[in-house]
Amino acid sequence: MIEIRDEFLSEEDLDLRNLSHEELIAYWNLWLEQAQATNDLDKALYSHGVFERDPAPGQ
Amino acid sequence: MNNPYLELTEEFNQGRLRALLSSGQAVVMHRLAVMSKDGDWILREDAEAIEHVLAVLAAHGARYRFGAPLDLRWLAGGWSAHLESRRESLRLRTDFVTRPPRVSPDWLARMWEEADATGNEVVGLEPLAALKLTNRDKDYAVVGELARLMTDLHSQFRYSRSSRDLIKLAEEHPAVLAEATRQRPLLTRIAEGRDALEEALDRERRALIHANEERLARYLASTQAWASLWPDVQRQIAGMSLPEAHRLLVARAEGVLPFEPAPRGES
Repeated sequence: MIEIRDEFLSEEDLDLRNLSHEELIAYWNLWLEQAQATNDLDKALYSHGVFERDPAPGQ
Repeated sequence: MNNPYLELTEEFNQGRLRALLSSGQAVVMHRLAVMSKDGDWILREDAEAIEHVLAVLAAHGARYRFGAPLDLRWLAGGWSAHLESRRESLRLRTDFVTRPPRVSPDWLARMWEEADATGNEVVGLEPLAALKLTNRDKDYAVVGELARLMTDLHSQFRYSRSSRDLIKLAEEHPAVLAEATRQRPLLTRIAEGRDALEEALDRERRALIHANEERLARYLASTQAWASLWPDVQRQIAGMSLPEAHRLLVARAEGVLPFEPAPRGES
């Protein structure tokens, strides 16, 4: 019988555990490359720390 | 092949452990998910560590973003410093704290002791879970998966976000549950079944979100003067080397950005 469990992240996310170190780095770097597409959109925003928005982004 | 955030971590820690890779990039290193393009480190709170990290960032042509100076006086007050550089096509954001939220001073000291003993440059599962109790809903999914990687039963009871996991843990380890309940009152609801426990988990998440929002609001209220000065400061530091920009930033921030945020209700 398949046991149902609470799901938090997708199977694709969790599949990182099955990658070798080299595969993980390659996937991670590719993801970072692709994520650059949103740089203009998040120019003023912060993902860490105690600041939320740059009052003068890109001046 | 290496990753730019791992390379930076190695450079920060050349000759001595000074920086622990944290937040989203630490989540990757724990093999959970790639969800952040910015880097975040917990720095050792001493002058040598800060000087070394600044020198590494200067060598990479980093520039300051709006934030606190990378200076012990502000970092000790819980402020974060934010810098940015480019590496080929990548925008690398490098964010730093020395006093991570929701990690007590004793716990932080133990984290550094453990990191020194093991040489592990990545924030461990339990403190990472504590850091991820933010005001963003998506972080609670990460906490839920981090808890599943924890081997310590107390930690699993403390951080699990799954009613099913908690009920199973309670059935298998009732003695640990009794102890863990003192730290996390929500665990008393396990006996009432899944619906009650899930309600309590939702309520706990919302309370944690509000607590972090209130924490950030204290800092925000203390940044108003610094934010109004920032466009001028940014123009002044444009084109400067990082050491020059750092000196100017410190001089401009002194007396404007308080070392400690104002207590709640005062700003």
